[in-house]
Amino acid sequence: MSKTTAINWEVGPIFRALLRNKVGAVLIAIQIAVTMTIIVNSVFIIVERDQQMQRVSGLDEDNTFYLSSLGFGQNFNAKVSIQDDLNMLRNLPGVVDAMQINAIPISGGGWSMGLQTKPGAEYDGVGTAVYMVDQNVLNTLDVELIAGEKFTPTDIRWREPAQGDWPDKIIITKALATSLFPDDEWQTAVGKTVYINDIEPMTIGGIIDQLQAPWIGWDKVENVMLSPEQMDQDSTRYIIRTEPGRRDDLMPQIEELLANSNKNRIIKGMRSLQETRERSYRSHTALIKILSTIMVILTIVTALGIVGMATFSVNQRKKQIGTRRALGASQGAIVRYFMVENLIISTVGVVVGAMLTLGLNIILVNVFNLDKIDWYYIPIGMVVLWLVGLIAVFAPAKKAANIPPALATRTV
Amino acid sequence: MLKMTDVKKVFRTDLVETHALRDFNLHVKEGDFVAVTGPSGSGKTTFLNIAGLLETFDGGRFELDGQDVSDLNDKQRSQLRNQKIGFIFQSFNLIPDLNLFDNVDVPLRYRGFNAAERKKRIEHSLDMVGLAQRMKHLPSQLSGGQQQRVAIARALAGEPRFLLADEPTGNLDTQMANSVMDLLKEINANGTTIIMVTHDAALAKQAKRNIYVLDGKVSEVGKSATANHAHLAAVQ
Repeated sequence: MSKTTAINWEVGPIFRALLRNKVGAVLIAIQIAVTMTIIVNSVFIIVERDQQMQRVSGLDEDNTFYLSSLGFGQNFNAKVSIQDDLNMLRNLPGVVDAMQINAIPISGGGWSMGLQTKPGAEYDGVGTAVYMVDQNVLNTLDVELIAGEKFTPTDIRWREPAQGDWPDKIIITKALATSLFPDDEWQTAVGKTVYINDIEPMTIGGIIDQLQAPWIGWDKVENVMLSPEQMDQDSTRYIIRTEPGRRDDLMPQIEELLANSNKNRIIKGMRSLQETRERSYRSHTALIKILSTIMVILTIVTALGIVGMATFSVNQRKKQIGTRRALGASQGAIVRYFMVENLIISTVGVVVGAMLTLGLNIILVNVFNLDKIDWYYIPIGMVVLWLVGLIAVFAPAKKAANIPPALATRTV
Repeated sequence: MLKMTDVKKVFRTDLVETHALRDFNLHVKEGDFVAVTGPSGSGKTTFLNIAGLLETFDGGRFELDGQDVSDLNDKQRSQLRNQKIGFIFQSFNLIPDLNLFDNVDVPLRYRGFNAAERKKRIEHSLDMVGLAQRMKHLPSQLSGGQQQRVAIARALAGEPRFLLADEPTGNLDTQMANSVMDLLKEINANGTTIIMVTHDAALAKQAKRNIYVLDGKVSEVGKSATANHAHLAAVQ
């Protein structure tokens, strides 16, 4: 049997020496644990928010905008005005399509209803956003019909003010089909009857791929129903899709055209979908920025703490390092010593950190309704903190390795 | 064993050049016990540092155990120190946070011995200095004399070709100094070459051979009163 081994990592003696000199090491380990806890939970929140922001609304957001028309006076006829406006808008060069709509996706405000697959107040409904649209909906909102039939002009009815009943036929999103009939293939929802207001039947005429509700924070944001009706109301909203690159030219033009075409109304609230997205996700963006800043600062503070502790311990142990060099430690062995020492401290830190991370996540789940953290964030966080420690300790370790062995014979 | 020929060492600052060693000549044979004495600033410590490969030199030739050491890099010098030289320091230089076992273990780990081999050597060398029962003690729990014995055990555990002792009794009272000195003589009698730097003339007399260093040179050489071995006389 060989008497020698390749490299001796000195883990045992380093660990035993640390146990006799715990205070500094424990403080750094705690700092690493706390940093890891905050960083891992922050990253999780950031990724989650970012994923929410990456979700597609289904609309042609870059080329879509909307505005409101508020009619007033005895002479204002809403139905005539809406038909005139839509005729004008749809024939305007640069406009792909336009439509009256009751609410704007991802804007924050809209209608919701409950749909159920059996009639009767005793059954629970599935929540869905409701968009009141006409036969131009697919083209205007840039959504794709993936099953069933689209609305024809004869499907579209006028909803009078204060009218409470619903059309016979609707189109729903694939997500809503899955919510309503979780046990069946989504395609089979076409032709089925669902009930609104507990007992009022409606037939599912078609299914579209994707369209988001107005509320980005809602967990069923993909549940959307399209109801074929125009609203006979003095105050209405148009959504307009333009050809690529034409939106910014057309917005002021259309605003002026509409305002001039009928003096009995005012045009207001014009906004692009892009701006709506920015406004809706503003708190997400801000949170991401704040958490990122905190993470960077914490990481730097922790790294500096490690540098400080290692530098202090190098200065304190100069004689010892010189002695080790005299006894045969190469410069590499000295660097390794401090690296291993740091790894031991970091390991304690990240193990405690892993537990604290889970603890904080449980609190966040219970108090703020956040999601449970994915397990793999924890090992990744541990490795990152280990690496931060090793990088931070490297310069002091190099400094230690440069202590001359002749220091051992110097009487201080 | 150790052969220095015209070894020079110059310390330079912006203003001054200090010749710590000039044409330093010394030949130490296997089994010798050499005491190096001299006043402060004479170059004793510089000699010790160069002999122990702790410092490089600027001219001349230095052979250690037949090997020319002038062109070795830091790593090779570290290895050579580890394998061939045992150090004993004036202030013991034990590592305060490690118990006796781990202290003696330090050079053995750099040597790359496996755990069983290290344990055997540590126990043997601590037994040799009479401290085998206290392996789990910390240095601070021992007297100065005992600490120096641990340091000697540490120096011997790797079975070096020679021991370099720097004022080994400088921090000890007379009684403890004598016991350490007796131990060194015993080690030498068992065949280990020893070079001891000291300014204590009484101590030096107990060595087989005395070297007196002045102004960076070996200025006077003599046999100590107690040593009378014919083969010790060879001197440059």
